[in-house]
This record gives sequence, C-alpha cells and structure tokens, in this order.
Amino acid sequence: MLPVLSLIVLIPLLFSAFAFLTKKREQARVVALMGTLITLILTLYMYFSFDSSSAAMQFEELASWIPSLGINYHLGVDGVSMPLILLNAIVIPLLILFTWDDVRSTPNRFYGLILAMQGAVIGVFISLDFFLFYVFWELTLIPLFFMVNIWGGPNKRHASIKFFIYTHVASLVMLLGIFGLYFAAWDQTGVANMGIAHLMSQFPMIGSGIARDAIFLALLFGFLVKLPIVPFHSWLPDAYAEAPTAGSVLFILLKIAGYGIFRVILPMLPATGSPDMMITILGLLGSVSIVYGAFLALSQKDLKRMVAYSSVSHMGFVALGAAGLVTLSISGAMFQQFSHGLILSIMFMSVGVIQASTGTRNINDLGGLATKMPKLAVIMMLAFMASLGLPGLTGFIAEFMVFTFSYVNVPTFVILALFGVVITAGYHLWAMQRTMFGVYNGKIGEVLDLSNVQTFSMAVIALLVLYFGLNPSPVLDMMITGSNEIVSLMAAMGV
Amino acid sequence: MAYENLAFLIPLLPALAFVITFFVGKKTPYGGGLIPIFAIAASFLISLLITIGLLQNPDQVISQSYHWFAIFNLGILIDPLAAVMLTMVTFVSLLIHIYSVGYMSHDPAKSRYFAETSLFTASMLSLILSDNILQLFISWELVGLCSYLLIGFWYQKPSAASAAKKAFLTTRIGDVMFLAGIIVLFADLFKLVNGSIPDGVYLLRFDEIFSYIPEISAMNATFLGFEVSHLTIITLLFFGGAVGKSGQFPLHVWLPDAMEGPTTVSALIHAATMVTAGVYLVARTFPMFIAAPQSLIIVAYVGAFTALFAATMAIVMNDLKRVLAYSTISQLGYMMLGLGMGAVIGAEAVGVSIFHLISHAFFKALLFLCAGSVIHAVGTHDMRELGGVAKVMPITAATMVAASLALAGFGIPGTSIGSTGFFSKDPIIENAYLFGEHAGNWFPYLFAIVAALLTSLYIFRLLFMTFAGKPRTNYGGHESPASMTVPLSILGILALVFGAIVVEPFNKFVSSTFVNNFVNMDIPALAEVGNYELVAHAGHEPLLILWMPVIVAIVGLLIAFVIYYQKAIDMSRFVSKDNSVYKLLYNRYYQNEIFTQLFAVKFVYEGLAMAGYHIDRFIDGIVNVISYLAIEAGDSFRKIQTGVIQQYSVAVIMGVSLLVILIKLVMEVF
Repeated sequence: MLPVLSLIVLIPLLFSAFAFLTKKREQARVVALMGTLITLILTLYMYFSFDSSSAAMQFEELASWIPSLGINYHLGVDGVSMPLILLNAIVIPLLILFTWDDVRSTPNRFYGLILAMQGAVIGVFISLDFFLFYVFWELTLIPLFFMVNIWGGPNKRHASIKFFIYTHVASLVMLLGIFGLYFAAWDQTGVANMGIAHLMSQFPMIGSGIARDAIFLALLFGFLVKLPIVPFHSWLPDAYAEAPTAGSVLFILLKIAGYGIFRVILPMLPATGSPDMMITILGLLGSVSIVYGAFLALSQKDLKRMVAYSSVSHMGFVALGAAGLVTLSISGAMFQQFSHGLILSIMFMSVGVIQASTGTRNINDLGGLATKMPKLAVIMMLAFMASLGLPGLTGFIAEFMVFTFSYVNVPTFVILALFGVVITAGYHLWAMQRTMFGVYNGKIGEVLDLSNVQTFSMAVIALLVLYFGLNPSPVLDMMITGSNEIVSLMAAMGV
Repeated sequence: MAYENLAFLIPLLPALAFVITFFVGKKTPYGGGLIPIFAIAASFLISLLITIGLLQNPDQVISQSYHWFAIFNLGILIDPLAAVMLTMVTFVSLLIHIYSVGYMSHDPAKSRYFAETSLFTASMLSLILSDNILQLFISWELVGLCSYLLIGFWYQKPSAASAAKKAFLTTRIGDVMFLAGIIVLFADLFKLVNGSIPDGVYLLRFDEIFSYIPEISAMNATFLGFEVSHLTIITLLFFGGAVGKSGQFPLHVWLPDAMEGPTTVSALIHAATMVTAGVYLVARTFPMFIAAPQSLIIVAYVGAFTALFAATMAIVMNDLKRVLAYSTISQLGYMMLGLGMGAVIGAEAVGVSIFHLISHAFFKALLFLCAGSVIHAVGTHDMRELGGVAKVMPITAATMVAASLALAGFGIPGTSIGSTGFFSKDPIIENAYLFGEHAGNWFPYLFAIVAALLTSLYIFRLLFMTFAGKPRTNYGGHESPASMTVPLSILGILALVFGAIVVEPFNKFVSSTFVNNFVNMDIPALAEVGNYELVAHAGHEPLLILWMPVIVAIVGLLIAFVIYYQKAIDMSRFVSKDNSVYKLLYNRYYQNEIFTQLFAVKFVYEGLAMAGYHIDRFIDGIVNVISYLAIEAGDSFRKIQTGVIQQYSVAVIMGVSLLVILIKLVMEVF
C-alpha cells in the first residue's frame, strides 16, 4: 500500500522547497502546478477508493515518534476530513492557474508559500495525534502571514501582524487546553499519549467539572477565533481585505477551525460540566455571527471587505449547525464548510479581477461592468447567488440543512438567524447592482474581461458549486457517516 | 398510459432549452427563439395528454419519487390540480415565446432573453409538479431568480437593475416566511415520528404531510398570550410566502415596478410563471388550510383587501403597463379570496379559484401582449400620448376589447353566455356572499363588489384612452406582424369562450383533487379538526346577488364611457396636484416612500447596518487597545534583552519548570 496520506502532505512541502529554489516566474508556476496536480491525483485516488459508508479511519498510518511523551506519527481520514482535503486539492491548482499570468515580485516565494500552505492545511486534516495536529495548525500561520505581509495592500503590515498575533494568542490558549487534557489523561492512566481519540475518551474521566469546562473552553476559544465567530472576528476583515487574491483564497480554504469543532469540540461537549451552557454559547454566537456579519457586509463600501464580512456570516452556520447536535445539522455545517470554500474562492477571484482591471474596489466608483466584462458577470452572478443561498447551488443545501435540523434542538437561534437571510440577499444584490449593472462608469476607462486561464479556473469551481448543489450526495454521504460517528461519540460521553 | 413515463420531460425539456440557448443560441435562427418554442411545445403536448388521460380516469394520478440527498426526495405528482396548471403554463408560455420572436427581434441580447425565459418556464413547471414541499420551495426560489434576471434584462438601465433587486428582495421576505414554515413543519413531523425516519419515507412529501394534519393541529404553542395551533402557524407562514410571490398586500410593492423588463416578461410574470405560484402553493396545501380555519379566513381578508386596494390605484395610473400591473394584483386578490372561501364551501373553493387563475392567465397575458403590440408599434406606454390606436392596429384593438370584457366579467347570469372572466370571477363573489350570510361578516363581499366596479372602470378607461378617439400625439405606427397577432387572436378567442365551455367540468375536475385522489382527503373531517363545519354550495342566491357583479361592471363601463369617451365630465378638478385623494392614489399611498425610503434605506441600511458598522469599530478598538497595552508592556520588558545567552537559558529553564509546576498544581487542585 502506498502511504498516500504522507504523500499528500510531503509532496506539497517538497514542491514548495523546489519552488523556492527556482529563479524565474515561468519555472516557479510550473513547479507549483505540478506539485498540486500530483496532490490532486493522489487525493482523487483516495476519494474514489474511500468507503463513505464506513465510520472508521481509512488509509491509516501509524509510527512511533517520541515514545517517552506518547507522541505518534498517526494519520488517517474519515468522512469529516475527506471532503475538506478534496476541497483543498481541487481549488489550489485552480488558484495557481488563476494567478498564471500575474506579474509580481519574487514569484518563487509566492508559489512556494502557496504549496507550503497546502501541505500544512492538509496536515491538520489528517493528523490523529494532537502534537502533530498542533504543529500543522501553527504551520498554517506562516505562509498566510507572509502572503499578506509581502504582497498585501497598502495596510498590509498592520493587517498581517494583527492576524498573526490575534490567532497565535488564540492558538496558545488552545495549546494550554491540549496540555491540560494531556496531563490529566497522563495522570489518570499513567501512560503518556497524545492521540486525539485517546484524549477524547479520557476527557469525561476528569473528576472536576470546572477543570473539564476550563479545558473545553480553552480549546473552543482557539477554534472560535480562527473560525472566526463574532466577537472574535476583527482580525478577519483586515487580513482578508489586505491579502492578495491568492492569499484571500488561501484564507478561505483554511477550514481547520470548523474541522476542529467537529473533531474535538463536539465529542467533548456532552461531558463538560455544563453542556447546556456550551450549546448556548455555540448556537448564540453562531446565529449572532450570521445576522451581524450580514449587516456589516451591507454597510461596507469596499467590495472585498463586504465579501470578507459575508464570510463571517457564513461561518456562523458552521457554529449553529454544530450546536444543533443532530447528525444532519452537523452534516449541514460540514457541507457549509465545503460549499463556502468553493463559493468564496470565486467571489474573491472576482473581486481580484475587478481590482486588477479597474484599479478600485470601492463599490461607489464601479458600475455597469457587465457590459464590458460579460464572462465575469455570469460567473460572479452565479457565485453571488450561491452565496445568498439560492437553491440548485451548494450554499442552499448547507443552509437549509443547518436551519431545518438545528431547529429541532435550538429553535430560538434558528429563528434569530433567519432574519439574516433577507439581509444577506440584500447586500449581495445591492453590490451586484452597483458594480455590474447600471450605466457603465466612464471614469473607469477601458477594462479587460477574464483571461482564458482565469475563466477556466473560475468556471471549474462554478461548475462544482452547481454540481454539488444539484447532487450533494458524493460528499454529503461521507459527511453524514462522519457526523453519525460524532453523534455516537457524544452519546457515549454523556454523563 | 405510456406518456406517464414522459412526465419528467415536462420541466426537463425547457431546462435543456435553457442550457442550449444559453451556450449556442446566438448561432441559431431568431437568436435561439426556436429552441424554447419546440421544447415548450413538447411539454405542452405531454401535459395535455396527461390531462386528457386524467379527465377520463381521475384516479390515475401520476406519482413518482426518487431519492435525492440525506432524507429528501425529488418527485413528480400530477393530479387534476397540477395537470390543469401544467397545461395552462405550457400553453401560455408557448404563445408568449412565439410572440417574443417578433417582439424581441431587434434586441441584440435576445438569446439571453430566450435562455432565461426557458429557465423561468422550467422552474415554474417543476414547482407545479413537485410531490414534496422542499422541491416546491426550490423551484419557487428559481422562479424568483429568473424574475430577477428578466426584470433586470436591460441591466444597463439603472431603473431596471433597481426594480429587479426590489422584486427579489420583497419576495425574499415572503420566501423566508415560507422557509420558516417548512422548518417548523419538519420539526413537528420529526417529533411525530420520534426522530427516526424509516428508509424510503420522505417526510416532506405532500401525502406524508397531509396524513399528519390532525396531529399537527393538536400541537399548540403560546404566542403573545394566545394558544395557537402549530398548523395555523405553519399555514400562515406558507401564506406569508404566497403574499410575497403573488403580490398580496403588503408585499405587492415589487409587482408594478416589475414592468421594467420587456413587456413579454411582464406577460410571463403576470400570467403564467410567477405570481400564480403563491395561489398554487395555497391550493396545493389546501387540506392544511382547511384544518386551520383562522388561516383560511386571513387568506380571505388579505385577498379581498388586496383586490380593492390595488383597484383603487389602477384607476389613476397613466402608464398602460402600470394599470395592468395593479389589475394583476387586484385579480390575485380575488384568487386568494376564492381560496379563503374554502372556509364555507370546502374543496370546491380550489376549483373556483384555480379556474379564475387560468382564465386570468389567458386574458392578462392577452392584455400585456396587446400592450406590448401597441408599445412595439408606437414606442410609448403613456396613455396620455396615445388615443385612436384602434384605427392603426385593428386586430390588437379587437383582442384588447375581448380581454377587457373578460377582465370586467361581462356575461348573463343563469345562462351559459359570458366571457371567461364572468364564469371565473362571479363564483368567487357569490361565495363571498355565502360567507357573509354564513359567518355574518360582509367585508369580503363588500370589498369584492366594489373592486369589481373599479375593475370595469379602470380597464375601460384604459381602452377608451388608448384605442378610441383621435391620436393625441403624432406617433405613426402599424399593425404588428403575424407572429404577434396570431397568439393575440388565440388568446382573444379563449378569453371570450373558454369559460362558457369548460367551467362546469373544470371545477368538478380540479376540486376532485382532494376528494378522491392521491391523498384521499376527507375535507369535511378536516374541517372538524379545525372545529367548524362546511355548508353546501346551494347556488340559489337571490337574483339580485347573481346579477350584482354584472351590474357593477356595467356601471363601471358607463362611468368610463362618460368621462373618457364623451368627456362629458371635466376631470381636471379631480386630476390635480391639489386634490388629496388623487394625490394619495397617484402616489400609490406613498408605499414607495414607506417601504423603500423609510424601511429599507433609513431603518435597515442607515439604522441597523450603520449601527453595526460602529459596533464593529468598537470591537476592533478593544483589540487595538489590548495590543497597545501589550506593546507598552513589551517596551518595558525590553530592558531585560541583554543579549547574554546564559541569562536567556536560565530564563527558559525557569519558565518551562514554572509552567510544568503550574499545570501540576492545577491538576492537584481539581
């Protein structure tokens, strides 16, 4: 058997090193494309040989690493992680194609960082050992920091440092939680073991309810900041908006926080000292994020910041679906992560194209672009419609599942979140109207429509949004199996 | 029945036509116009065959279900109700598409037009034949999307882009209510099956939903101190969706603006593909409404009020299309009123209301296409600039007269002589009378009768101002080509004779949907669930009552004749900026100011969104203050940066040991 999991992390990292060593843009981008294509092929091989009816870890790899501390090199995928790996493996090669003709400083570093990012993110999804998980988790910070810091907008220094420190502090709090769990389990069993599954199973045995709550909240804090959720979101608009287009897309593909909620937070939740309070925190923050993010998006004048806030709003669905605590609401939240990754990638690419060709992102300075950029208009319209939850596209499946199934357990938060739906439609349509429709704003000058590679990469993602919107089962079924496993873990934890 | 297996093609063919026209339409003749025409013609044939089959054998309901995802299905349900709707929509849409080939011939973007209208038709067809509420909702939203794209078809025009957005957002308010209704319904069903759904059972299928009506009705919630049945809540939320889509008060504001698109799009929206969706939703879930009489009565009140409210505005509009838009709102009000009358006559109300829906589809499509023909030829839709069009465009004028007679509901009670509108609208008004007699509440009847008077007045005002007399401006013009006048003539004949021929069998056929088919609903028993009883429709109202609608129609015609043809009364005193009634009507009760300016702009955008903006600045400020404090602290710590490795290593060792001790201590304590 091929150690395919090791390969899909090592290959991007290896090609990242190659890319750094290249001298020319033409070489760097070819190396990057090759590396990501190999990863894509391996991932597709994994996806097609994946048994979506099995809840067990598949393609598992286990080797002892630091025995004295109970740290293992332990990898595996299940229905929770497989779709997210697929998302990354598909979008990143397309992102490289999207940037194919861009001219920028030090392209070798640019493509090297994209590849490093891919390896790190996939690493988080396949780690079954907390130590490994945390290493990859922190590793994702570095490429993103440099992405913003080197190629970002006018305010890049502030945005990159703010992002780095804010989420790093949150990660440290999370690390404290991991340590607490690790030492408590060590204390109870007398054996050191960093395995995620092992530590989860030891969590309910911790005697004190306050200790359990403290550990849980520390982990939750780390994930919620990264997700992000209101009120811990303020790093996001700056970072997303200042990042270059490729950086914004990488941020969007960084689905590790939601993943952490499913993998770590939910199984632990019933065993906390006060599960009802934790559900309330998760559900309330989720629905507040949905509504608050929507209003904030409505108030923006910068198109990219608007898209950034829409991301905050969408991530609320992940928390709300998780708080629903039933298999299908959790699957809906997982599907939201997948769907959001695809949709927001197109939206940030669209904004990137608009900025590159018109020189501005200010909504009031645009107008009538559809006449000059018909291809962009069609693709952007599809992405916007998907983002506002139009049926037939992925966003609807996710939102409908989260709403419908969360209502069973947390009806109040669902009703609150429903108010966001109209506002969401509002800012999307208003932005479309003022940028793409109406009279062409002559002050913009001549603009070019999408190039062929840009059209190709955006259209492929758009078609996926349509395909999985019409037929979600190919990824949803494995998510349902994964959520079922989470729900049964929760049932086993219930005290 | 072999064509039963072709049922899935009904929405699929227009959907394929959309894809083909979208990608290669430009390269085919007429900008791709022929592709949807062939597709929709085929859909029409299949629908017609299925309807004929059902007529012969009403129990042969087509019901097919396929697993979609998770616990949801996609499926087809064609019972009498769906069959007549499918036939009507495909037929009217077909005629509009044929007409469009001529109408849109000069537009450079016509292939986009034909692609979008195909999708529009496909979505509406999928909505009609859904066998579950989720698929219906999905199609419902796609219908909304298509209307958005088509109203904003000339997106370069700021007013079109704005109207499209307004239509989408206003109906979206209704959609959210509809969605909330589905969510509450699902939660109730989920509770009723104890959270475990057997394989192959799709809870959101209509037959499943209907079989749980008594149980859902028995669930109560306390709302503002009132005990309310869950069934009432769910049906009212569904109706909220219908209010948005079918232009009922107060969510009707988008419909008059929706004429920013091509006139053919207005014809599609007003007749076949969009506004009827809300009426259809209530009809489709009618067994639920029957068991929730409070909802049914609210449906009736909103309908009656809308019928009158919209008619008052129609009499002062000067724009040809605007008059027709308000007329649609008013007629939709009648349809809703017709459904609400289920509270007295039971399932028969569905037949009556759907018959008005279909008859309205014919004459309203005709009215819009006539208006389009006029606009196409003379290039204006301001009635004050028109006049005497009949001389230039005799066919258009003749068909317009036919449509107007149908809209006003001319006919002779007690005989089978009358326009289609007479046979469709009068029973609704009679039922409202029956309701008044039975429930002692005469408002619906009163509203319906006054609205009938105004209907006749505004449509003949339009007719006289546009077609009679002498041209008020020099507009030239000519009769439209055959591709436009043939559809007009077909619809004109239908507007005149369709009602007389089919009304009796039609009502029986459609009403039978819930009596002996598919779900086998016991409507009187459901009424018992709702704690009331139905009365049989006796049909022996006093003669005056039978004649009343026709009498008011004649009165309306006479008033219009005297004022706008003979000009015997000087209207300038009424039609002036100083007349407060006229001002109120002409400014449409200031709805635009209230909804758009006050609510959307002032409250939502400048109020809530901007408040959020400042709150976010505040949250960000807190983060910045914390980081500032950290920097300050860092500055003071900088003094220990000595650069001596030994000092650093001591600090590291001490730090790590402290951390371990701390963690150990914490563990001991808990």
